[in-house]
Amino acid sequence: MPQLFTIDQLREEDAVELANVGVLTDRNRRSGTFLLRDVLPLCCYSSADGMELLSIDAALQRYDWLREKYFWKAVRPDLDEVTLQCHSESIPRGFFIRVRKNVKIAVPTQAGLFVAHSNVTQNVHNIVILEDDSELKLISGCLTLRGVSTGSHFAVSEMYLGRNAKLTNTMLHRWGPKVRVRPRSGTIVGAGGQYMSNYVSLQPAKSIESNALTWLNGSGASAKYLTIILGSDGATIDTGGEVYLNADDTSAELVHRGVCTGGHIFQKGLLVGNARCRAHVDCAGMVLDTKNSGFIESIPGLRGMHPEARMSHEASIGKIAPEQVEYLQARGMEEREAISMIIRGFLDTNIAGLGPELDARIAEIAELAGHGETR
Amino acid sequence: MKDLLEIKNLCVEVDGKELLHDINLAIPEGEIHTLLGPNGSGKTTLIMTVMGFTRYQVTRGRIFYDGQDITDLDLTARARLGIGVMQQRPPTIAGVKLHQVLAYLAAGDLQRNQKVQELLNQSQMSLLIDRDLNAGLSGGEIKRSELLQLLAHEPKFAMMDEPDSGVDLESLALIGKMINKLFAIESACTVKRKAGLIITHTGYILDNIDADKAHIMLAGRISCSGNPHLVLEIIKKHGYEGCVHCMP
Repeated sequence: MPQLFTIDQLREEDAVELANVGVLTDRNRRSGTFLLRDVLPLCCYSSADGMELLSIDAALQRYDWLREKYFWKAVRPDLDEVTLQCHSESIPRGFFIRVRKNVKIAVPTQAGLFVAHSNVTQNVHNIVILEDDSELKLISGCLTLRGVSTGSHFAVSEMYLGRNAKLTNTMLHRWGPKVRVRPRSGTIVGAGGQYMSNYVSLQPAKSIESNALTWLNGSGASAKYLTIILGSDGATIDTGGEVYLNADDTSAELVHRGVCTGGHIFQKGLLVGNARCRAHVDCAGMVLDTKNSGFIESIPGLRGMHPEARMSHEASIGKIAPEQVEYLQARGMEEREAISMIIRGFLDTNIAGLGPELDARIAEIAELAGHGETR
Repeated sequence: MKDLLEIKNLCVEVDGKELLHDINLAIPEGEIHTLLGPNGSGKTTLIMTVMGFTRYQVTRGRIFYDGQDITDLDLTARARLGIGVMQQRPPTIAGVKLHQVLAYLAAGDLQRNQKVQELLNQSQMSLLIDRDLNAGLSGGEIKRSELLQLLAHEPKFAMMDEPDSGVDLESLALIGKMINKLFAIESACTVKRKAGLIITHTGYILDNIDADKAHIMLAGRISCSGNPHLVLEIIKKHGYEGCVHCMP
């Protein structure tokens, strides 16, 4: 059971660090909060009518149907070593969110998952259920606290969107330099449902491997993934995902933006058109520094399984053109200011619905990259 | 009037090839000079060098601005001293919007912000400020975008590369108005206007602005200087070939 207390009772230094990944102590700006410190839930509450927010173990005890219909139903337990490890936990750690039919939660809900001590392994299992015609904006901030450089964060997330439900899932990550991060997710979207995933990695771990699977099963369902990665020396970041467009008039868009200041960035994505659908993958990389053989590799993938699947992809990798920097310098900008503005523009993908938290993080990436300070 | 820009014995290389040879030029405070010459004569090279673009390498000579030797200063420093440029073919910058650059130029200055807003409407650019910088703009729109930025920059010395090329008559009148606003008499001194150097290929812009002097550039040298309208007349009559014969 959660130990606590509300988020405003957090230690001030922890609160400051969590705020950097969008987890706020201001209760007016969040409709619910779940906090996991190392392997123990700290707090868990919803202040919105029609939304339940429980720790996953409490939810499993309360609702038999959860285990029968949803628990390990969108992600296979034997998918890989990550899922096997999470599945082996006798008491699962993570959150359960359910938004009732027709309830639209305007104020974002947040989850802060943080590693406070070295060498801790977090095995997390989250389930989000949006019933028909409901809406939720979820912000998940994951990080290691200052001074923690080692550890592991394994996470399984299962998301279920009912008819016309709309989920915006924004994940902001900031990890210590020797941490291993392995997010796995399965998302099932019903007719007319809209799933939007924004993933921003500000301070990359030693290695991140994500594998998000999405099934658009209902007519008119849609998914958009925006992944923004700042790579740095010594880090390997492999962000992938597969979207299966299984019903007519479904649509999917994967947008990758990577800025390489060292380290290895892999941008992957596979869209599978099994019905009349529209799908697009857009991978773009900007290489600022290739120290220690740093690189960006983009592998956009399409698989058309239906004659009316309209699918396309684009990929580009390049550096900042000196004439662009000098053009802005001629307006009085310092070189680093000009580079920051160009990177900010490169990362601005014009996807609607990005909140102020994400905007602030993108600006921070641009500023860090402009200064050449990523660690 | 003291010279605001003074160029002495300037030689410039681009990609290892000397394009400007022993240029001498002085532009006093409050004067607008024009630079005429055929394609490839070195006009653009001269203003890009004065601005400090790194591709243009000074191999000999010095550039003075407001009495200060700026030959070794970088672009930013020159821009902050009050030198501004309007490029003929500015680069496209994906994701960076015109309004962001204007906001940077007017940051923290309420009066300048207000002026930028007024200028936006006057220059018919309001609808284009959310587009990527210089992307998909017509010839006239690029000129107006560049001029708008210059007006927001408020340079003491403005250089323009062919503001009258590739634009229709209506746009030309609007561009002329914007240029006159840029060089307008400074409020603190009723007789002093800002100084500048305008490259013109056709001379059309001379119908819209009151230039003090014209220089002809041929094969990387300034070959002749004089009254802008007289110089233009001679070019119209004899072409630049006539100037070649006249060269010392």
